[in-house]
Amino acid sequence: MIVFLQSVLSGVLIGGVYALVGIGLTIIFGVMRVINFAHGELVMIGMYLTWIIFTGLAIDPFVSILISIPAMFAVGALIQKTLINRVLGALPENQILLTVGLGLVLSNLVMLFFTSDYRILTTSYSSSTLRLAGLSVSTPLAISFAITSAITALLYWFLLKTDTGQGIRATAQDRDAAQLMGINVKRMSLLAFGIGAALAGTAGALISPTYYIFPQVGGVFTLKAFVIVVLGGMGSVLGATLGGVIIGVTESLAAVYISAGMKELFVYVLFLIVLLFRPAGLLGRSRV
Amino acid sequence: MAIRVNDLPRALTRSRRSTLFSFAAVAAVALVLLLVPRAVQSPYLLHVMILFFLAVSMGESWNVIGGYTGQYSLGHAAYFGTGAYTTLMLLQYRHIAPWWGAWAAVGAALVVALVIGSICFRLRGPYFTLASIAVAEIIRLIALNWKPVTNGAEGILLMDIPPLKIGGMLVTDWLSKAPFYYIGLVLALVTLLVNYLVGRSKLGYCFQAIREDQDAAHSLGINPAFYKNVALAISAVFTALTGAFYGLYIGFIDPHTVLGIDLSVEMVLICIIGGIGTNLGPVVGALVLVPLSEALRANLLARLLFSAGLLDETSRAGAFLKENLAHAHVLIYGILVVLVILFMPDGVLGFAKKLLARRSPGRVPSPSPGAVLGGPDANP
Amino acid sequence: MKTFLTAAIVLGLGLPSAARAEGVKIGIINSMTGPEAPIGESLTNGIKLAQDDLAKKNIKVELIWEDDTGKPQVAMSAIEKLATRDNVAGVVGPYTSASANAVAKQAQRYKVPLLVPVAAKEDITRQGYEWVFRLNAPANVYAQVLLDAVTQLGKPKTMALIYENTDFGTSTANTAKEYADKKGIKVVADESYSKGSPDYRSTLTKVKALSPDLVFMVSYVADAILLMRQAREMGLKPQAFLGGGAGFTTAQFASEKDISNQVLTSTQWTDDVPWPGAKDFATRYKAKFNKEPPYHAACAYAAMMIMAEVASKQGGDREKVRSALASGSWNGIMGDVKFESYEGYANQNRHPMLVQQIQDGKYVTVFPDKFAGGKKASYPFPGWK
Repeated sequence: MIVFLQSVLSGVLIGGVYALVGIGLTIIFGVMRVINFAHGELVMIGMYLTWIIFTGLAIDPFVSILISIPAMFAVGALIQKTLINRVLGALPENQILLTVGLGLVLSNLVMLFFTSDYRILTTSYSSSTLRLAGLSVSTPLAISFAITSAITALLYWFLLKTDTGQGIRATAQDRDAAQLMGINVKRMSLLAFGIGAALAGTAGALISPTYYIFPQVGGVFTLKAFVIVVLGGMGSVLGATLGGVIIGVTESLAAVYISAGMKELFVYVLFLIVLLFRPAGLLGRSRV
Repeated sequence: MAIRVNDLPRALTRSRRSTLFSFAAVAAVALVLLLVPRAVQSPYLLHVMILFFLAVSMGESWNVIGGYTGQYSLGHAAYFGTGAYTTLMLLQYRHIAPWWGAWAAVGAALVVALVIGSICFRLRGPYFTLASIAVAEIIRLIALNWKPVTNGAEGILLMDIPPLKIGGMLVTDWLSKAPFYYIGLVLALVTLLVNYLVGRSKLGYCFQAIREDQDAAHSLGINPAFYKNVALAISAVFTALTGAFYGLYIGFIDPHTVLGIDLSVEMVLICIIGGIGTNLGPVVGALVLVPLSEALRANLLARLLFSAGLLDETSRAGAFLKENLAHAHVLIYGILVVLVILFMPDGVLGFAKKLLARRSPGRVPSPSPGAVLGGPDANP
Repeated sequence: MKTFLTAAIVLGLGLPSAARAEGVKIGIINSMTGPEAPIGESLTNGIKLAQDDLAKKNIKVELIWEDDTGKPQVAMSAIEKLATRDNVAGVVGPYTSASANAVAKQAQRYKVPLLVPVAAKEDITRQGYEWVFRLNAPANVYAQVLLDAVTQLGKPKTMALIYENTDFGTSTANTAKEYADKKGIKVVADESYSKGSPDYRSTLTKVKALSPDLVFMVSYVADAILLMRQAREMGLKPQAFLGGGAGFTTAQFASEKDISNQVLTSTQWTDDVPWPGAKDFATRYKAKFNKEPPYHAACAYAAMMIMAEVASKQGGDREKVRSALASGSWNGIMGDVKFESYEGYANQNRHPMLVQQIQDGKYVTVFPDKFAGGKKASYPFPGWK
């Protein structure tokens, strides 16, 4: 029983970080209908940013998100303005390939300047734990889960209660209608990509004290983010939150009860099952 | 969208003379290529040519489903790996000669294609792409974890290929590069021919109709599910043959190299850079990518910059480039892809055609689909 | 189209190689980019240091570097080029087992002496290739030497295996399983994982529930640190943590004192082993590259020195280089080197591997006794602080 509870707990905690990556991807998709294959690379850039701030300025990774959130927002907005915006009306396939190419460029640029060495952040609390009713909880993971929850709550408030947030949601629902209603659709796209990138970067920052950093790390997150987003329903923020936690727990349980090498297999099988039987995802509106 | 459909009658009415001419050109090139191993002694050059043939075959095979039918599969490594694994496992563990094993590879790829097709073709557009990645990853993970059969991550190291004898006469003992060169050449030509036939047959028009508008095609009585599966089957068979050839030639396969997502992306890159949905697009793509990657690996680009006097070898920028440019070929691939999609949505071939058409005022250039569909900012 | 191809080929053939022709040419194949690049860099550094020493000894060789990006097909391009276009007298490399496998076959075909410095897969020198030599001990020794050491230190009964599902990981784990059987140690858990998963806690929870006497891990550096951090989180407490080379023998791992203390690892080389020049090599490596030298660097250095000395002495004649490698013997930072045929191996150096323990962030050689110089391992693992 303790093994089961421990693995569910680990799954939920890591799932929170996955959710953050997924939410970013789902917002971008919702507003622009572009699947961002370079999303994991944005997570990677967030990680390197955290690493630079930590080693260069000695700022704690959890504090550094105050710097990396605006920085990543700017990176996202720049990518949207210079690249994505030009293919918004093009074939969806070309959009996919553009982001694939962008991903290659980002990861290899980073490799050129930082080499492919593994970087590992060692903070005073990197391997410390909290004890909770016989279960052990990694301190940095618990902190990052708390921050993730706070950011997600903030994001909900922003999307539901503010005018800009409602504008983004309206654009996601129907781009043309939103434009007719006088919403600046271009600005919303810029905002959406910026927010998506900022969330990916934050996830990178939050996971870096318990993980390691190398230029190709993005691929892991890109694939996971797809699964999460499809699972929750493309464009659904609540769905992505739920999807992240489901994937975290599935991986964790599969690793304990079947085999660690097979855990991804279960994630992809789950992904296919959802795609086939509920293509709109668990919480998505049917649009396929 | 309408413009693309208008292309079809244009292709049909294309003068017979130009068809004859392009046939003659391809035949001449093929003849020259046939003679290369006699004239060229350098195994390195032959090796680069074999890599080129491999790239052409991969690109042309993908082109059938991705280019003509418009189903952007990012999981074609599944067929490549199936072909390579089937052939090499039969050869290594059952001592079945590869010229028989290759047929088993074709059969296995057909089965995989049918399974994948029946799952993934229920989905459209980006959803199909995502599903194709998932299936390919599942197959990779199975190969990685099913150790008794596939030897897992350790992969299969091919010992020897038995000599090929026909009626007691030794055809080849596989020791030189020449047999691989010829097989590669034949494979590249066959895949090219398949693309040509697909482009010009009724079957091919059904594929293209699905690409342009699946619902309209359906209402015209074309069964999309059936034709998509046929296209995938054709594509899978030749991808598997290419994979089998790769495995035999390199002599070592493991799940990462023949089933990884990098390989799937590479197949698409070959097509997108050359020009998607055209006969010669993948050839042009391979002509760009293969020499480029070899040249970058040998650091030729940096040396070229130095010898041309554009950069000083001892300067800081020069030293940086010398140290790093050789390592940057994937970066340059990426930049190429981004540039091609933004500025030449029809690939290098389409771009060249447009330039040519602009020079000879007699012909009217066909607008690129990207430009038509792209809206105001698509083509700056 | 044809002109473009011709241009590309001319470009490919014309420019290089003709430049300078001083000394004998030796090819290097190494993973300088790609996922294997971090360790590839250690090999590069080792070879650079060898270059300095060769210049001091007035041995003139011209090195031709080839990057295989960690892919066997690219490694094949490299050996083709080196063998037929650059006409090298011998080749040192490649780093990865997959590449070394593919290259060995070609080296045999083109009759080019190949000296593999550090690739571990047993098959490489088990094909009966007369042109392929290997300096380091093959994969099975990694597990054997460790289990020999712990059975001398205590009486472990059970063992859990956690390893990365790559070529190196699975083949080392397989030999560990076989050897544990022989030693009467029961393998209670056999867990492979995919590199790069952020969370190994579930696997470790499962292992902890089985409370094994030994935990044997095969990982690269980042995963090694992650696994130990999370093992500490979970409170996993076996009699000993064993690391099969790779990530567990890096300075970066040792410097994580909270988690690395008392871990036992097997290695090809240490800086406190009484082999001639080992200590000096370590000092100079640190001075030049500002990093601790891993065993990969030492292997690459020794392989480069041997190949360069032999090749320049034989004037670059490949057949003579081959027979000189096959019959010669050397003594340097890797101890005694002699390429022999035994137990199905051909041209394999019977290199004795070492066991080292991390004590307060420092590697200390503790086994075999004749190389340990009286230093003792502490056993069993006392538990987490």
